[in-house]
Amino acid sequence: MSLAVRIIPCLDVRGGRVVKGINFKDIVDAGDPAEAAKRYDAEGADEICMLDIDASFEERSTTIETVKSIASQVFIPFTVGGGIKSLKDIDMLLKSGADKVSINTSAILNPDLIEEASKEYGAQCIVLAIDAKQDGEIWNVYTHGGKNKTELDAIEWAKKGQDLGAGEILMTSMDKDGTKSGFDNNLYMKLSNNLSIPVIASGGAGELSHLVDAVKLGKADALLAASIFHYEEISIKKVKQALQTEGFEVRL
Amino acid sequence: MHLGVVDYGASNIHSVARALQSLGSKVSIVDTPDKFKSIDKLVFPGQGSMGSCIKKLNETEMINPLSDAIKSKPFLGICLGLQILFDSSEESKEKGLGVINGSITKIKDINKENLKIPHMGWNNVKIEKKHELFSGIEDKQFFYFVHSFVASNTETSITTTHYGEEFVSSLATENIFATQFHPEKSGEIGLKFLENFINWKI
Repeated sequence: MSLAVRIIPCLDVRGGRVVKGINFKDIVDAGDPAEAAKRYDAEGADEICMLDIDASFEERSTTIETVKSIASQVFIPFTVGGGIKSLKDIDMLLKSGADKVSINTSAILNPDLIEEASKEYGAQCIVLAIDAKQDGEIWNVYTHGGKNKTELDAIEWAKKGQDLGAGEILMTSMDKDGTKSGFDNNLYMKLSNNLSIPVIASGGAGELSHLVDAVKLGKADALLAASIFHYEEISIKKVKQALQTEGFEVRL
Repeated sequence: MHLGVVDYGASNIHSVARALQSLGSKVSIVDTPDKFKSIDKLVFPGQGSMGSCIKKLNETEMINPLSDAIKSKPFLGICLGLQILFDSSEESKEKGLGVINGSITKIKDINKENLKIPHMGWNNVKIEKKHELFSGIEDKQFFYFVHSFVASNTETSITTTHYGEEFVSSLATENIFATQFHPEKSGEIGLKFLENFINWKI
């Protein structure tokens, strides 16, 4: 008996509203975050993830309100990411009801943040989020919501993150995100083979077979998707049934 | 019915308090020795190591009122709240509360099954013995776990779970119930379990 493969619907939030874009561009409004989170919980989501895109200092209070609103209505693990820069930010989000925080750009600018946060709050609540784009044989890491290219290799950075104390890696393939053409399974397989912490695959879910393949071929421990669940193109239950048919443990 | 959630300054107690509140309970945070008196039922959610937990309970002078409450009031320990009931833990030099005989050990046999530590995620809970707190909950349901240490081989065991080894995922003795899983993070079924605790009559 092993752990269930986790299905994690993601809410991309801006200014207290769910939004959705393609390849990090063309953002459209897609509803109220707490309502969406409640629906996902009822449909069998194993976790909820909320990413505050373009989170800025002015919008912090809105973010906190949204986190509180979701946490008071949804009783499954809840991860919050976006614009987290300091231990103080992490403390505030955990106190507002987040169970885990997802750190992206700030971890690259200041890797000590992962180490300090992991020591203070435990590895189980620190998720290192990475946005990566393939370039030949390697995957480059990008910061600031996919805007800036870095010199970092995604696999190496994930390993470093694990050593620093991250409890999970949330890897988004920028090549696949929003395209609905399937997950970047090569990336996830490489990642899983190099890590001992769980890998959450994100970006590219369009069909049922894509999600199954990310677990079967990519060896992902968890799958994160936004639009297919948001627009009810594929139900969480269907994904789990398909995984179960393939012999994977799921919570149904 | 007045529920108290113990806050010794290290754990995320808010999710437990919120879950209990969502079920319509009156919930107070118990963070000083004097606050134990007015409480009818006590919930102790724990996080971190047994050593730091016992130290903090000593520092806040809550260890004695907590021990008294465990003897007299319906008590629910969650995660570390299960582990501190034991005599000791491999994790820390500090002794536990010694309410239940035995020691807490690190999860074994993880290499055999290529498992990751901590045990984090949804796993099956196998009901070994009938108990009111599991009424209306079917056998082998999924609950949410986050931990690296476990209790094993106790006569008080109510449910077991397999991860590397068979461990005690919940136990009960008289007015005490304790879970290794997090009911407050286990969705609908977790809420059903908490509702059973709220309604539990001893």
